[in-house]
Amino acid sequence: MKQFLFQKTKYLSVLFFLLSLSIAAGAQTNLKGRILDDKGAGLSGVSILVKGTGNGTGTDANGNFSINVPSSKATLVISSIGFVTQEIPVDGRSNLDVTLAPDVRSLENVVVIGYGSQLRKEVTGAVQTINAKELKDLPVSQIGQKLQGRLAGVQINQTTGKPGQGINIRIRGQLSVSAGSDPLYVVDGFPLTGNIGAINPDEIESISILKDAASTSLYGSRAANGVVLITTKKGRKGQTSMGLSTYVGTQHVPMRGRVKMMDAVEFAQFKKEYYEDAGQPVPIEFQNPSQYEGKNNDWYGALLRDAPIQSYNLTLTSNTEKLNTALVAGVFDQQGVVLNTRYKRYSLRMNSDYAISDRVKIGFNLAPQYVFDNTPRTDGDRGTGILFNALHTWPVMPIYDANGQLTKFNQFPGSTGNIFAYPNWVRAAQELVNETKNVNIISNAYLQYQPIKGLTLKSTINVEYLNSRFFFFNPSTATNAINVPIPTTAVSIRQNTENISWLNENLATYTHSFGEHNFELLGGFTQQKFTQNATRIQADTYTDDRLPTIQGALNIARGGTNNQVNEWGLNSFLSRLTYNFKGKYLFTASVRTDGSSRFGVNNRWGTFPSASAGWVISDENFLRNSKRISFAKLRASYGVIGNNNIGNYTQYALVNNTVNAVFGNTVATGAQVTQLANPNLGWETTKQIDLGFDLGLFNDRIQFTYDFYTKNTTNLLYSVQIAQEAGFGNFNDNIGEIKFWGHEFAVTTRNTEGKLRWTTNANISFNRNRVLALAEGIDRVYGSFHITKVGQPFGQFYGMVSEGMYLNQADLDKSPKIPGRSTVGSIKLKDVNGDGVITYGGDFDDRTIIGSPFPKFTYGIVNSLTYGNFDFSVVGSGSYGNQLFVRHIYSTANLDGVFNLLQEVKYRFRSPSNPGKGFFGTTVGGGNVTGIERDWINSRFVADASYFTIKNVTLGYNIGVKNKVFKSARVYASIQQLYTFTNYWGGPNPEVSSQGDGNGDGGNLSQGVDFSSYPVPRTYTLGVNLNF
Amino acid sequence: MTTRVIITCLIGLGLTSCSKNLEVVPQTSLSSATFFTQEADFKQAVNAAYVPLRTIYNNFDWLLGEMHSDNTYYYRNILFGATEQQENIADFSLPTSNGLTTNTNVRDEYRNFYQIIARANQVLATIDKVEFDAASKSNLKGQAQFLRAFAYFKLVQYFGKVPLHLTPVTNRQEAAAQLASVDELYKQIESDAKGAAQGLLNKAKQEPGRATSGAAKTLLANLYLVQKRWADAEAISKEVIASNEYSLMPNYADAFSGTNSNKNNAESVFEVQFQEGSAGYNGNLIYRFLPLPITAGELQPITGTSNPQGLSGEGNNAPTPDLIAAYEAGDKRKDASIAYVTLSQSLRDNKVYPYIKKFAAPHAQHNNTGNNWPVYRFAEVLLFAAEALNEQSKGAEALTYLNRVRDRAFGAGVSPVTVTGQVQLRDIIMKERRVELAFENKRWNDLVRTGKAVEVITAYGNRVKANPQAYYYPAGNVPPNNAFTNIDLVYGLPADEAALSPYF
Repeated sequence: MKQFLFQKTKYLSVLFFLLSLSIAAGAQTNLKGRILDDKGAGLSGVSILVKGTGNGTGTDANGNFSINVPSSKATLVISSIGFVTQEIPVDGRSNLDVTLAPDVRSLENVVVIGYGSQLRKEVTGAVQTINAKELKDLPVSQIGQKLQGRLAGVQINQTTGKPGQGINIRIRGQLSVSAGSDPLYVVDGFPLTGNIGAINPDEIESISILKDAASTSLYGSRAANGVVLITTKKGRKGQTSMGLSTYVGTQHVPMRGRVKMMDAVEFAQFKKEYYEDAGQPVPIEFQNPSQYEGKNNDWYGALLRDAPIQSYNLTLTSNTEKLNTALVAGVFDQQGVVLNTRYKRYSLRMNSDYAISDRVKIGFNLAPQYVFDNTPRTDGDRGTGILFNALHTWPVMPIYDANGQLTKFNQFPGSTGNIFAYPNWVRAAQELVNETKNVNIISNAYLQYQPIKGLTLKSTINVEYLNSRFFFFNPSTATNAINVPIPTTAVSIRQNTENISWLNENLATYTHSFGEHNFELLGGFTQQKFTQNATRIQADTYTDDRLPTIQGALNIARGGTNNQVNEWGLNSFLSRLTYNFKGKYLFTASVRTDGSSRFGVNNRWGTFPSASAGWVISDENFLRNSKRISFAKLRASYGVIGNNNIGNYTQYALVNNTVNAVFGNTVATGAQVTQLANPNLGWETTKQIDLGFDLGLFNDRIQFTYDFYTKNTTNLLYSVQIAQEAGFGNFNDNIGEIKFWGHEFAVTTRNTEGKLRWTTNANISFNRNRVLALAEGIDRVYGSFHITKVGQPFGQFYGMVSEGMYLNQADLDKSPKIPGRSTVGSIKLKDVNGDGVITYGGDFDDRTIIGSPFPKFTYGIVNSLTYGNFDFSVVGSGSYGNQLFVRHIYSTANLDGVFNLLQEVKYRFRSPSNPGKGFFGTTVGGGNVTGIERDWINSRFVADASYFTIKNVTLGYNIGVKNKVFKSARVYASIQQLYTFTNYWGGPNPEVSSQGDGNGDGGNLSQGVDFSSYPVPRTYTLGVNLNF
Repeated sequence: MTTRVIITCLIGLGLTSCSKNLEVVPQTSLSSATFFTQEADFKQAVNAAYVPLRTIYNNFDWLLGEMHSDNTYYYRNILFGATEQQENIADFSLPTSNGLTTNTNVRDEYRNFYQIIARANQVLATIDKVEFDAASKSNLKGQAQFLRAFAYFKLVQYFGKVPLHLTPVTNRQEAAAQLASVDELYKQIESDAKGAAQGLLNKAKQEPGRATSGAAKTLLANLYLVQKRWADAEAISKEVIASNEYSLMPNYADAFSGTNSNKNNAESVFEVQFQEGSAGYNGNLIYRFLPLPITAGELQPITGTSNPQGLSGEGNNAPTPDLIAAYEAGDKRKDASIAYVTLSQSLRDNKVYPYIKKFAAPHAQHNNTGNNWPVYRFAEVLLFAAEALNEQSKGAEALTYLNRVRDRAFGAGVSPVTVTGQVQLRDIIMKERRVELAFENKRWNDLVRTGKAVEVITAYGNRVKANPQAYYYPAGNVPPNNAFTNIDLVYGLPADEAALSPYF
């Protein structure tokens, strides 16, 4: 207190002194100059203060300033957020140009956390923040793609190359049996219900990933999957600027990585050998394979093209004393590499804050958006996904007829073993319409009031609106489904969906310090409501494909026509206490209570507490003067969080009244109870401990962060299988326990400084999980290719172990076999239970765990270099030790010759003297023999999917323009998805993971299945960033 | 000041609608709390209880009841795999251990019958709590009782002991029930069927296609035969016959429904109802019962559709030479039941195959038929009576019923049976059942209940193994070497269900 008084006195006296000086005009000198950033561009809004005085100014839009200094010996303090503050003696100069270095250490930076912000130094949770600046050059449509490789503990996979889709983000390996596992996305404080993928990445200022329970627990019953906080652009103080960023490019699917299938000659040769080996006459079509020389039909390749991509963004920011506005307008247009794919986005965002008075502030954000998307039905299992279908279509079937027209339909005589008739997939891509038009508006409004010093009251209203129009039309001339004759029945589906989510939050924050004790107290009440209305109309039997209206159809399909209403409500109370002593001993405790309409009436309210503590060791005397250790902090946290992604009406017993009967020729409405009620149904609970430390060495040239976490998820929502003698297959219940744990390391090094500046960010994460319990009486859950079993990690691949082939009669005689099916040359499976007989399923099952979709570790590395006006960056991300289940080989290695085959099948077993490479067995014996290899899930389906992908390489150049129009200009060239190092042979994308396998088992239990999905293209772009 | 007011208002606004925000009930689905409160609800619930019959009879029952016998086999197509689920049933090689089988067709037949039971239980448990017209209620209850009795009757014949559920399951703990003994099941079936016989309307008054009092009595007759309660069987069969509600169609082929004609005709006692068209109530039986691969051109004369399409895969329910030989000369039923098709793509030397003609009525769209499935026909009631009488050594009286059936098959008085010796007549009646009811899923149950299953199937298996080509194998191909190794009198209970039940 004494010190404070003293300082105040001193300050006043200095002020008085200065005042008198300024009155004594003439003693002052005027100093002019310009403040530049490290790239030579003028910096606006930089604060320039004469040290020890209240005399200061800011730079204008071009970085110029002018200030009166009291004496030539004064010192200027030059500071700007994100840059290292400099103190520069005037030394009698009248002109001064200063270059500010970016503050890589950024420890003083403010970090956005849930319901507030904190100094980075004082954060006690596991939070990683990415500034959007770091992401600006990546030519991709979604923010998730831009984050690949940059986050420790966060696995981001691009599971499909469909524009605007397929980014799968998992924080700390989070999984649930059947509840959703996507993190909660919060944009400007508003938890979104829609898809984050559609947000224009250029609107984003920063992203905070909240990983541990202490950081996320203020989001209560929605926090268990982690939280991604997105802050959109705001004007910088004292700055008005306009920027234009644009790029154009082209996308291409490299040959490498495509599944190697037989060409027409190879296929005909295979068919010939097939009949010869079986001792049957060769069908005329295959007697002379060389007739197909030069007549190959690459069905897969025919669906692909090189496609353009372009993006334009205009950003305008202005920050005057009272009004702060940012406007971002964007156009993004990507044509996909599969024919007839297009993704277009027009977006606008206007963020404004207005200070009515010193105490009252209001703000509005409005972000409307229009997205158009048309994607052929590319992904999916045999029969519906045209990429899978194209892979296994016979290459002897013509894409084009003699007149150069696309064929309609291909079918060889049944005597050739052609079971399935193939429509033309190129037509399927081109002629089917599968488009979505979305209008999406996110808006926020707030009123903030400071009745007394330290107390802030804030009330917000947030609205998220989506109007989605989906239109599908399958004309009579094409289809994405196998074995459908052409002409087929034309079908249209229209689905209009309207989502409205609103949120009202009322928060009070009180900050107070006495002495070196600093407190912040937060309390609030929030209420959110979501309503979805959807109408779907399915019509078929069109008289004319050119008129796919509803009235143009002869039939409205009763089963596909319906309307749906989905609603949920959430009421919450939240509070948090943050305390620190000297900014050195840090403590935070919070609690949120959620009442949710999704929970059963007996279990409506849940409480989610957390606590965390930190100790900035480097502020202790014994380290304060350390030359090596510039920063060190220990952190620990514990919290309880929930997952409410359990569906809206899972607690209720539902009656379906479309279970209709027929009597005579009359349809009679029938009704059936389809779901059992569970009034006790609740959220999934996760208890998480996090221990971490942050370390800065050698003046923060090296910064290191480590976190260990362990979490237990209990009460998992699961539709527990029950004996179907009950008349029901499932009962929605909270069951089981899963343990997750992991280690995350992140390091940032400034390798060189000076003219060549080279920074490296690297991270590596080890995530593990184990199922500790399922429901009582149930210790395992089977998927079609997976098992989830107590004591094991989630969803492991499950099947037989392949040990090659029975190479000869002696081998067959001495080995365990399948009664009635094993022959010389057929697949030899391991007798896991040692009973001498190979059995698939049942009591004598020989199946076992044959692989895992979970990596041993994931990693990323970002290198950024600047040299003079040049900048260069490389982003890589990878995964090690995970496998994929190559689903398509049940077709593409179907030894009955029903489909086109992997080239590798050439090297199959043909006879004991010609045993091939031991991977594919004999074709002789028909389905009784070959069916084992194909239908009995075995380890040949499992492929190593470790990879390292160079996600992006960018080379940029700052054009040193200094004129009245441009403040700065930069051009760059970039390659996205440059190269993937992998041994994965099942397809071009080792990040693929089909969620759910179409056989009814849940997504998370059956991860890592490759049906063949939309390829992720390599993208070459040229870009320009201009600042005015 | 204004701002303070605004904030207070906002907070106030939030709090007032607080509890309402959490009461969100489904708007586009009925919930059981409000359902089962009025007559219309029970009508719908009863209707839904019939629905699984379509799946059962279209997809599974012919596998368990017919192809699992010496009447039919599969048309082996060596180009096609993944067929063991069907083949194992026909080959008597079902993988079975500890009384459990992994066969999915067996499992799905079982599960679908329990769907009927659960839906019937829901009706029977709640209907008496709601007041409405007594006659309507009695008819609805009767239908639920009939369907429940029928489901248990099929289950007990195929599986022996099965779990007995008589009230709706409401939570996870109640899902699995203990296995009931065969006698307990018979008792329940009898009691339900008797209730149904009393409560249901007769054929004249009932809406065509629904269960009738006559159907319930026929079910009782069938139960008594299985139980060897011959006198009871005689009495109840005669009651049905004497009711004059039923008569034989003059022409055997007309006993079976067309795709949208001749349904629930005078001979029909109970049929599973299908409807042709895109609404999803159709069947596709004939497409399951054809030799494959077949070209569109070969298929079209059989189906008569405008858009025939070539089919591949492996066909099922192929009439065996044994069955074909069982028809006596002059039996008009043979040509009405079996026809032949020549397959150009066949890998056999003999490309001519028999197929089931009974269910092949011309229809409009490929793979979409509306033929009803005959569960009970009046002809069978006559044969029930004949059998019950013969077993009581009333052979002469038995002949009057038996010969009514034969008169239609051969022409009146052309080929009557005159034998009255009980043992001989027993065989004659069984053979008559075999041909009269061929492909109607009666054969396996008949073999089991008459104690002939092991003897007949062993001999039949030997014939198949001795001459596979006669059983539609292409030259050089033989049945799997585990064929005819597992002639159990009951099917194993589904292993998938065992995994979820502590009781088996």
